[in-house]
Amino acid sequence: MISILPTAFIFIASALILGFLPRGHIRSTILLATPVLAAWHIWNLPVGIFSQVEFVGQTLDMMRVDKLSRIFGLIFCLAAFLGNLYAWHVRDLIQQVAALLYAGAAIGAVFAGDLITLFFYWEGTALASVFLIWARKTEGSYHTGMRYLIIQITSGVILLAGTALLYRDTGSITFERMTLGSLGTWLIFLSFGIKCAFPLLHNWLQDSYPAATITGTVILSAFTTKLAVYALARGFAGTELLIYIGAVMTLFPIFFAEIENDLRRVLAYSLNNQLGFMVVGIGVGTEMAINGTASHAFAHILYKALLFMSVGAVMLRTGTSKASELGGLCRTMPRTAMFCLIGAASISAFPFFSGFVTKSLIMDATANQHYPVIWAILVFASAGVLSHSGIKIPYFTFFGHDSGLRPKEAPIHMQMAMGLTALLCIIIGVYPDPLYALLPYEVVYQPYTMGHVIGQLQLLCFALLAFIFLMRSGIHPPEIRAVNLDVDWIYRRLVPTFYNIIHVATVKFFTYFDSVINDFIQLTIKGLYKLLGPETGVSRMRGVGSMVVWVAILLGISLISSYF
Amino acid sequence: MDPNKTEDKSTLPLLGRFLSWFTKTENSNKICLALVALCLALFLADFTYDKHGHFHIEEIPGFYGIYGFFMFTALILVAKVLRTLIKRPENYYGDKAIDGEDYPNDQLEQGSK
Repeated sequence: MISILPTAFIFIASALILGFLPRGHIRSTILLATPVLAAWHIWNLPVGIFSQVEFVGQTLDMMRVDKLSRIFGLIFCLAAFLGNLYAWHVRDLIQQVAALLYAGAAIGAVFAGDLITLFFYWEGTALASVFLIWARKTEGSYHTGMRYLIIQITSGVILLAGTALLYRDTGSITFERMTLGSLGTWLIFLSFGIKCAFPLLHNWLQDSYPAATITGTVILSAFTTKLAVYALARGFAGTELLIYIGAVMTLFPIFFAEIENDLRRVLAYSLNNQLGFMVVGIGVGTEMAINGTASHAFAHILYKALLFMSVGAVMLRTGTSKASELGGLCRTMPRTAMFCLIGAASISAFPFFSGFVTKSLIMDATANQHYPVIWAILVFASAGVLSHSGIKIPYFTFFGHDSGLRPKEAPIHMQMAMGLTALLCIIIGVYPDPLYALLPYEVVYQPYTMGHVIGQLQLLCFALLAFIFLMRSGIHPPEIRAVNLDVDWIYRRLVPTFYNIIHVATVKFFTYFDSVINDFIQLTIKGLYKLLGPETGVSRMRGVGSMVVWVAILLGISLISSYF
Repeated sequence: MDPNKTEDKSTLPLLGRFLSWFTKTENSNKICLALVALCLALFLADFTYDKHGHFHIEEIPGFYGIYGFFMFTALILVAKVLRTLIKRPENYYGDKAIDGEDYPNDQLEQGSK
């Protein structure tokens, strides 16, 4: 057994020393250097299983290195670097440590070769990331963070339960491909599904990401859900159920995103929709599909971070991310607007932007396996992506009606982070070969065919035309200040209301019961009082004379009775 | 600033002046026409090469365009109906959500151009 340093330890070590360093640029530099060092470490790792340790009678594989874990490890390092560059101005130690530990835990989980190691890091991501929400330091963010934490920890507990059951069935805790069947595998599947925001289990995502700090959301957007995508790709590739789950995931968020006012929540819905594409790829499970999922996760982390960054920059300058309050910011924040447009073009999969070269792998893999309905849903969902992320985000923020706001351009470090991310989105789109070379399987695929490019451009441009038609005719729904109900209504409103009703009813019942008992006791006491109290005849004082009379009468009666 | 007032464009950055061209109502017709022309060109482009998709439906000229246009419209219409069902006031969840509260000022770096 060769022992190598687990990559996660680089992040943990940095997090430990960070507090002892002076505030300011030195800490921010460490935040940038750590992911660079980790990426270099991952890049030079040989393929194989390393760093095995004994733990309560089990062998834990801390580092399982193969092409699938490597690409996720690398993109997590890249995301941590870009996120920390974006957060250069943040001086809050808690957020800085949380960002490092969160990235470290996610990378540790990706390299975990067994389910116990996976569980530890799985919970690690939950614990570290919640501080990015709480760092907003408001009442609302506290409650949102608690909801987030409960759901994330539950996912980990279910994973542990599944692992225990699987161990009982198979005698192994190795994290490898599983087939749904036993309760253990179903529990593990459910645990992954919670973190991957499966339909009905998804609402923690839309609830919590808009509640984090400006920089925290950028960091949150990269790790948790993509870790779940990795775990599903590792454990459940080729599980047909995932195709249908993924298709629903691409579909329902686009409707919610369309009418959502908070742009960071729009992006959270959009993130959910993009995860759907990846989940479909995992369900299809062919080499091409898994390549599609891995590459789409890679590209997605970048353009999604870019979109969150641009909305975050607007928020930093204006104090809001609500579409109803924004508009026309391209005048004074033109660079942020351009970066946002590049992110929008990438997520919408315009040719020569990153989404195009990665999503088409999944689409073609799905079509190759003859799933016409799923394919049609994915094409529809692609038009939907254009609608909320491609049009809504840039249009209602930077163009559209003039809000009258004239904020300053984003700070320089934010521009650098956005610029670098935007550049990567374009490079991947124009020259995808280096990304394809990183993928788990060999890529024999040419995204730039005439049919592909024309087809995709037609889809997007005609959808754009539909948008203009709907805007001009006044049919397009306006941006209004409101919240929309989703599944979280069940646990945020219905259950508390139900609980309240039971609570009130119980209290009322016992109060009534109490009063009935009370009344009964009081009545009894009053009755006895009336009967035997000092006012009654029984208790009246009588003179000695009357007693003598009564004794004489009694004696008389007994005397008379003795004669008969 | 008051959006109805004409502002001095020369104070805007060059890129900002360029992008603000797209926001003017008098230019929206030009943008619209350009997009229609582009869509027409893309539709005609379908006749210039051999289409061989995975499914027969892809071979219909302009399939992606038609599908995109109608599905996009359907999406918006369904979303509008959905809104009438699930829309609630911003403070619906009270102080247990961030929707009704302002982002803390000390974490912002606001400022006007």
